[in-house]
Amino acid sequence: MTFALTITSSDLLLLLPEILLTSWLCLILIIDFSFPQLPNEQLAYFSIAGLVATLGCLVWFDAAGITGTLFANMFALDRMALFFKMFIVGSTILVILASIDYIHRFRFFRGEYYFLVVMSALGMMFMASANDLLSVFVTLEFSTLGFYVLVAYLREDIASNEAGIKFFILGIFAAALLAYGISLVYGETGKLVFSDMTTVQASPGLVIGFLLIFAALGFKIGAVPFHSWIPDTYHGSPTPVTAFLSIAPKGAAFAILLRMFFVALATFKPVWTLLLVAVSILSMTYGNIVAIAQKNMKRLLAYSGIAQIGNVLIGLATGTKMGSDAMLFYLLTYLFANLGAFAIVIAVSEAIGSEEIDDYSGLGRRSPFLAFSMLIFLLSLAGVPPLAGFIGKLYIFIAAIKEGLYVLITVGLINIVISMYYYLIVVKKMYVNEPRDRSPLKVSGPIKVVVYVCLAGTLAIGVYPQPVTDWVVSAIMIFSNVADPTASLPIPPAILPFGG
Amino acid sequence: MIEELASTFPILTCILFLPVIGAVVLWLFDDEDMVRTSALAIALLELALCVFVLLRFVPESAAMQFSEHVPWIPALGISYHLAVDGISVLFVGLTAFLTVLIVIYSWDTVRHQVKLYMMALLALETTVMGVFISIDLILFFVFWELMLIPSYFLIKLWGGGAERHYAALKFVLYTLLGSVFMLVGIVLLDINYHQWATLRHIEPTYSFDLLDLLSVPIPFGQQVLIFWLLFLGFAFKAPVFPFHTWLPDALFEGPIGMAVVLGGLKLGTFGFIRFSIPLLPDASKSQTVVSIIMALGLAAVLYGAILALVQQDLRRLLAFSSISHLGFVVIGLFALNFQGLQGSLLTMINLGFSTAGLFFIAGFLYSRQQSTQLGSLGGMAKQTPLIACFFLFLGLAGIGLPGTGSFVGEFLILLGAFKANWIYGAIAVTGVILSAAYFLWYYERSMLGPLGKAVKDSIRDLHPREILIASALSLMILWIGLYPSPFLKMMNGSVQALVDRLERGTVASLEPKQPVRVD
Repeated sequence: MTFALTITSSDLLLLLPEILLTSWLCLILIIDFSFPQLPNEQLAYFSIAGLVATLGCLVWFDAAGITGTLFANMFALDRMALFFKMFIVGSTILVILASIDYIHRFRFFRGEYYFLVVMSALGMMFMASANDLLSVFVTLEFSTLGFYVLVAYLREDIASNEAGIKFFILGIFAAALLAYGISLVYGETGKLVFSDMTTVQASPGLVIGFLLIFAALGFKIGAVPFHSWIPDTYHGSPTPVTAFLSIAPKGAAFAILLRMFFVALATFKPVWTLLLVAVSILSMTYGNIVAIAQKNMKRLLAYSGIAQIGNVLIGLATGTKMGSDAMLFYLLTYLFANLGAFAIVIAVSEAIGSEEIDDYSGLGRRSPFLAFSMLIFLLSLAGVPPLAGFIGKLYIFIAAIKEGLYVLITVGLINIVISMYYYLIVVKKMYVNEPRDRSPLKVSGPIKVVVYVCLAGTLAIGVYPQPVTDWVVSAIMIFSNVADPTASLPIPPAILPFGG
Repeated sequence: MIEELASTFPILTCILFLPVIGAVVLWLFDDEDMVRTSALAIALLELALCVFVLLRFVPESAAMQFSEHVPWIPALGISYHLAVDGISVLFVGLTAFLTVLIVIYSWDTVRHQVKLYMMALLALETTVMGVFISIDLILFFVFWELMLIPSYFLIKLWGGGAERHYAALKFVLYTLLGSVFMLVGIVLLDINYHQWATLRHIEPTYSFDLLDLLSVPIPFGQQVLIFWLLFLGFAFKAPVFPFHTWLPDALFEGPIGMAVVLGGLKLGTFGFIRFSIPLLPDASKSQTVVSIIMALGLAAVLYGAILALVQQDLRRLLAFSSISHLGFVVIGLFALNFQGLQGSLLTMINLGFSTAGLFFIAGFLYSRQQSTQLGSLGGMAKQTPLIACFFLFLGLAGIGLPGTGSFVGEFLILLGAFKANWIYGAIAVTGVILSAAYFLWYYERSMLGPLGKAVKDSIRDLHPREILIASALSLMILWIGLYPSPFLKMMNGSVQALVDRLERGTVASLEPKQPVRVD
C-alpha cells in the first residue's frame, strides 16, 4: 500500500484543537521545570486555561460547522467527534479543578501530574477522531500511557501501586488483543479504514478479529466480562484520577465503538446486537448486585459505573440513530452525576481522611451542602425524575423498546430498583445515622466550583433537556444514512405513499 | 378584563409549584413558630387556589379545563401539559384540604427538625398535585416517582416505629418496582402512537400526551400487554391485593401525616380511572382481565376486612381496612358501568376524608398514650368523650352509614357490581358487613366498658386545634352524605365520556392496521 501524505494549511486547521493543546502541553512542562518555586495551583489554572481555549476552539468548530477528514480518512473530524472532544475536554477541566486540593498528597512530581492529565486528554481527543484501525491502536495506547503513570501516582501507597500494576498488566494485555485483532481483520479484508469496510464478507478470521477488538475496547469501557481491573484500580488510584478514569476514556472508547459498529459493521447488525445485549445485561446485573456489598465509596461508584456502562450499551445495542443519540445524552448526564459524586468523595476524604461509606454518617448535619449534592448525584445516577439521569434512562429505554429489545429492557428496569437500594443506603447514612464527630466540614473553593457545575448540569439537563437533545441529535446525523434511516429518524425523510 | 386575565392565568402551574416554592422559602427561616405559621399560610393559600378552581370548574362537562400546554422535550414528544377534568378536580381540592389539616395536626406533635418536616410535607404536596393534574404521561411519571423522595424521608426521619427504616426502604423499592414496569407500558403507548403518526403523517410524531394517545387505535394484544404493565405500577402504589405488604408497615411505622396522605389519597386507583381504563378500553373490558381484577378486588375486600378483625393496633387495623376499601373501589371501577365508576370516584374522595380522619384520631390517641395498641386503651369514652364521639362518627362514615358520604359511594359501587354480575355484588356485600364488625368491635374494646388499666389519669380530651381538624373532616363527610349532587355533577361529564369510550373501544380499531403501499 502506498501512502502519500499531503497536507495543506486548510487541512491543518482541522487539527487546530489538538495542535493548540500539544503546544500548551509543552508549555506546561517548560514552566514546571523553569519555575520550580511556582505554586501548584498556578500550574493547574494554567492547564485549565489551555483546556478552556481548546474547548472554545471546539465550540467554534461546532458552531461554524468545520468538519472533514485527514490522512486518507484516518482522522475524521465530524460533529460526533466534536461532541466527544468537548466531552473529554470538559471532564478534564473539572478533574483538574477537583485535583487542586488533592495534589498535596503527592510527594514528588506535582507539576508532571497536570502534564500527564492533559496528555491523556490529548490522546483521548485523537481517539474521538480515530477512523481506522491503526489510528485506533495508536491513539488508544497514547491515552492509556498517561493513565498507567497516573494510577500509581501515590508512590508510598501500596494500594495505588497495586492498582498501577494491575492496570498496566491488563492494559497491555488488552493492547495485545487489539493488535492481534487488527492484524486478523487486515489480513482478511486488506482494509483499515472503517468506512471502507462496509462491504466486507463475513469470515471466521474477520469475526475473531472484531471480537478481539471489541474485547480491547470493552476493557476500556469496563464492561463485564472485561471489567476485572476496575474495582481495584478505582479503589487504589488517587481519587481525581479515578474520577477521570471513570468518565473521559469511556466517552472516547464509545466514539470508536460507534464508528466500528455503525459504520464498519452496519450490515452485521443482527449479529452484534445479540453480543451487545449480552454484554449489557451482564454489566448492569453484575455491577449493581456487587455494588450492594461495598463498604467503600470509591468501590461503590466503581461498580455502579460498570452498571451505568451497561445502560449506555443498551443504546449501542439498538443499532439505531435514536439509540446512539440516547447514548451521547446518557454519557453527558453520567459525566455530571459521576464527576459530582467523585468531587464529593474528594472533599469528604480531604476533610475526614476516609472514603468508607460508614464515615459518611451524619454528613447531612456536618455539611448540608455536600450531603444534598451527593443526594442529587446519586438520585440522578439511579434515574429519579426530574434529574438528568432520568431523561437519559428514558431516552435509552424508548430507543430500545422501539427496537423490541424487551428482555434487555426488563433486566435494565429491575436493575434500576436494585441500584436504588444501594444508593438509598448511602442516603440513609448521610441523613439518618448519627455522626461520630459533629464538627462541620470545610469545603475548598475549587471543589465547590466542580460540585456547583455538576449540580447545575444535572438539574438543568433534567428540567430543560431540549438544547442537549437537539445537540446530540445533530451530532449523530453522520450515521443517519448508515443505520436504519427510515425507522429511527424523528421525521422520516422518505415519504411513503399510501392509499386505498 | 378580569375575566380575560382569569382565563389566561396559569392557575394550575401556581397550584403545582406553590408548595415547593413555599418549601424553599421555609428554608430561610430559623424560628420554629415562624416556620409553622408560614407553612400553614402556604397550605391555606394553596387551598384557596384549589377552591377557586373548584368554583370556576364547569360541571357536567367532559372537557379538560384550565389546560396549560407547553412543549418540554419535543424530541421525545414530552410536553408540560396540565389540566383538570371531572375525574381529577376533586382530588386537587382533597389534597390541599388534607395538607392544611396535616400542618395543623403537626403543630405540636412534630418536635424535632420542624423545618425539614414542613419542607418535606410541602414538597410532597407538590408531587401529589402533579400526579393529579398531569395530562402528559411522562410528566405524570415524573411526579409519581418524585413522590417517593419526600415520602422516604418523612417515614424515615419522623416515623414513630422501631422498624421505620425498613418500612421506608420497603415502600420505596416496592413502588419503584411497580413504576418501572409502568414506564415500559407508557413507552409502549408512545411507540404505538409513533407508528400510527408516522404512517399518517400526523404531527407530532412522538407524543406522551394523554389526549394524543387517546386519538390512535391500539391493537388488542398490545392493549392487554400495556394494561398489565400499567396495572403493576398502579397496583403496587394503590396497593391492590396481593401487592399490599408495604402498606401496613409504612402506615404503622411512619408519621401520622404520611399515613394520612398514603391512606387518604388513593393515587393508585386514580391511575386506573385516569389512564388504564380510557387508554385501553378493549383490554379493560375483556373477559379475562375483568375476571382477574374482580377476583383480586373481592379477595382484597375479604382479606383486608378479615385481617382488620384481628388487629390489636388501630393503625394496622386502618391499614387493612384501607386495603379492603381499595378492593371496593377496584370492584366499582371494573364493573365498567356508570354507577360503578361514579361510585368508585366518589368513594375515593370520601375515603380521603374518613380514612384521614381515623388516622388523625389514631394520632390523637398516640400523642396521649404513646401507643395505639388495644392494651393501652379501653373505656376511653368516659375520660375523653370528644375523642370517642369523633371516632365513632368517622368510623361509621368509613363503614358506610347512611347519611355519610361513603354510603352514597358504596351504594353506587354495589349497584354497579350487581349490574355487572350479581356474584360480584353478593361477595362485596359481605365486605360491608365485615367492616361494620371490625370497626364496632374495636370501638367497643377501646372506648366503651371499664377504664383500661394503662389509661393515664391525667389524660385530656381534644384541645381546640384537634377539634378543628376532626370537625372540619366531619362536616365534609356530612356534606357529601346529605347533599352529594354538587360533587356528582362535577364528575358526571367525565364519567359519562369514559363510559362512552368503553362502549366504543379505541376509535379507529376497525381501520386496517397497515395502510396499503402503492409503489
